[in-house]
Amino acid sequence: MSQRSLTSPTGRTSPTSDFPDPKPARVTFDEWQELFEQVPEALVEEYHYFPSNREAFSKYLFPPQTFAIYGMRHLRRLKYDNSLAALRMWGFVQNETERLFRARQTGRRVIATMGDLGAVPVIVNSFPRCTAFYPDCIWWTPFAMESRVLFDAAAELGIGDATCFSRAALGAFAKHSYFPDPDLVIASTGASCDDYSGVEQLAEQFAPEMLWVEMPMRCEMGQMGSMRPMLVQEYQRVVERMEKLTGHHVSDDELRQSVLAANRVRKLVKRLRELAFRQGVLPALEMMVIEFGNLHYYSDITEWTAVLEHLLATAEERAAKGERVLSEGALRVVWVTPPADPLLLTYVEDHGARVVGTEYVINQALEVIDESKPGLEAIAESFMAASLIGNSRARAQSAIDQAREHGAEGVIISGIFGGSHCAMEGRLIADYVKAELDLPVLEFDVAPPSNEIGRQLQTRIDAFLEVLRSRR
Amino acid sequence: MKDLLTPRERFGLLVIDEPQDRVPVFPLVTAHAARVAGIPVRDYYTDGAAMARSQLVAQELYGTDFISFFSEVGLIAEALGSRFDYPDDDLPLLTRPKWSGLAELDEAEADPLKDGRLRVYIDAITYAYEARGDTVPILAYVPAPFTTAQQLVDQEAFLLGLLTEPERVHRLLEYATRSVIRFCRAIIGAGGLPILVDPLASGSVISADHYREFALPPEADVIRYLHRYDLDVVLHICGDTGATIGMMPETGADLLSIDRIGLETAIAGAGDRCRIIGNYDTSAILLSDPVTIEREVGAMVTAGCKCPMGFVAATGCEVPVETPPENVRAFVRAAKEVGFNATFGGRGKTADFGDSPHAGTVPSDGARRRV
Repeated sequence: MSQRSLTSPTGRTSPTSDFPDPKPARVTFDEWQELFEQVPEALVEEYHYFPSNREAFSKYLFPPQTFAIYGMRHLRRLKYDNSLAALRMWGFVQNETERLFRARQTGRRVIATMGDLGAVPVIVNSFPRCTAFYPDCIWWTPFAMESRVLFDAAAELGIGDATCFSRAALGAFAKHSYFPDPDLVIASTGASCDDYSGVEQLAEQFAPEMLWVEMPMRCEMGQMGSMRPMLVQEYQRVVERMEKLTGHHVSDDELRQSVLAANRVRKLVKRLRELAFRQGVLPALEMMVIEFGNLHYYSDITEWTAVLEHLLATAEERAAKGERVLSEGALRVVWVTPPADPLLLTYVEDHGARVVGTEYVINQALEVIDESKPGLEAIAESFMAASLIGNSRARAQSAIDQAREHGAEGVIISGIFGGSHCAMEGRLIADYVKAELDLPVLEFDVAPPSNEIGRQLQTRIDAFLEVLRSRR
Repeated sequence: MKDLLTPRERFGLLVIDEPQDRVPVFPLVTAHAARVAGIPVRDYYTDGAAMARSQLVAQELYGTDFISFFSEVGLIAEALGSRFDYPDDDLPLLTRPKWSGLAELDEAEADPLKDGRLRVYIDAITYAYEARGDTVPILAYVPAPFTTAQQLVDQEAFLLGLLTEPERVHRLLEYATRSVIRFCRAIIGAGGLPILVDPLASGSVISADHYREFALPPEADVIRYLHRYDLDVVLHICGDTGATIGMMPETGADLLSIDRIGLETAIAGAGDRCRIIGNYDTSAILLSDPVTIEREVGAMVTAGCKCPMGFVAATGCEVPVETPPENVRAFVRAAKEVGFNATFGGRGKTADFGDSPHAGTVPSDGARRRV
């Protein structure tokens, strides 16, 4: 990818002379405050979400301290990439709750999409002044806040601790304060996480209207093609409902433009994954946030694209100079299932490892959509790569392939305490990996929100990394 | 009555121009917290853990929406060299300002981790943030430069200097501002939201012209610094602000905490630009009876809820140390009841939380839009 192709009309894309990036490193919360104090005022003023909007409220270049003050306590314990692009990314992502409320206040329609993780927002975004978001992503909030508030709210509504952390989304619906009450909820179900289907069912009581979308059932990879027409029909229902809501007939070209915009994001992320996994130019924490941006672009695809371009420019520059944030000698691991507690990624890197591959159950959002096909058909086809609609073997194969490609020395599978399919799937994936690659596998359940990684789990991770080290 | 939202969730909605489930409730409980926690007042302002424990106990006891750290306005001046006495059961008293007149300044800058009792605040914030930071906003009162300056120099000489030596006063204010900002920075790092408090800039002390010339610019400087962090800044000026209320939004403050001024006047003067926090009479909360307090607070909340930018039910200044707890409870109870928003959750449906007053309500559409 040429430097020219990175240039964006929507925002700065490379390190600046106003605030030259320091030598690449992971820095603490306190160190970021020191750095932020040096950021010129003009840069703070420069970045706005909803790019045509220059209102003071839409600025977002703020450090972790800002969000910690508003309750995100875990931020004080993480380590961050020290580039301006990473600061910009964190500010943008942490700002999302406010952004969603501002979307509503400024006349946009807010559409909650649930369950499918990546496909339906491409359709929603083809409609003018519509903002799609995933309440599913609220699952990180209890960890970020080190709080049980949302879990308690979900428990009062019938979903207790023996369920995936994604139940936090139900608590958020009930609270009316983590996102605006959506104009429409589009809930995908069927071949998905059982727990989350339960969350969706209970969330219906808060929705003005719920449109249910059937995702294809689990089947062997070779049979998936036959399910595609059914999915196209389901997406056609989404289009019809959106047209009814907005009074706007979406054209083929609008749908195609939305596919192109989604693909722009997916291609940028693909390149960032290559650079990070091969050359260690960005930490695992930032990379997880980057990957999950493929779901709904943190509610503003235009600005998120600019943030990614900035990150990629930074990553490319580091790669060209041979600069890394993680040591070349670090232990190489593939991570399966996203850690609900981001502190785990910081912990593993602090102890001498780096992530060189991920299977975060969002493969469908990483897949580039075929731009030569009609919009809905192409979106449906890309969704067929979904992590959770295939069998466990398919997820294991993805991890195995990445481990081979990047010479991984071990695999970490972080299940979800109480999550139903995690308990079933983790062991299967571990067995596949061991059988095919003879690599050590660490499998554990992420504990509920806390201000630290539990001592027992620390010991397990330490021992695992020691095993990897001993095999060198 | 069980709240739907936590105080933090409620405050989060207030500052992004969204209606809340009820009015946030904020009697300014500062050293009074020590009394209800059974902690000596002197310990409260000299020991961060004691200060935090006091506030945590009081917040839980009263069910208020904020934890707020404050002892007295001389804090930064002391860290810069003014002398204070620490009575056993009362707040610190200024015994000797750093300078007797508007003399030449030194290069000192207060270090929040070393000088005076600034560290007490930082420790208290850290403690409270760990304990309750996920559900309750942690506020810390920071004496503004103008008030700090009057604790650095003999007050009479300072006030005379406004007329006779304005340049020296401006230099002193710049000197104070540097330490104020440095203290704010440390508070931010600890997880606290600074509130700028400038009681000696009230109309009870200076004229509106002097407010504009001397107090407002350094307030604005500090607020500008806090806005770099996108923080929602409260400016608290107790006493009479009738002549300056229209100017106070020019500081950039997002919320104005007011005292001796009619609520309608304050809303008319600034309510289209700032959220208003106020302003129940602190003498009344000390000396009145619960029934009267409930009635008066109810009337105040009814009036305050007409503020276009939002309202927080508060006392005009600190709840006096000796205030009977039943009076504070009466304040909180009335503010919550009268400030309850039956239309909350307007676009969606509300949860059935058992004994919640929200059970079964389906408010009308459109109630949430404000901007």
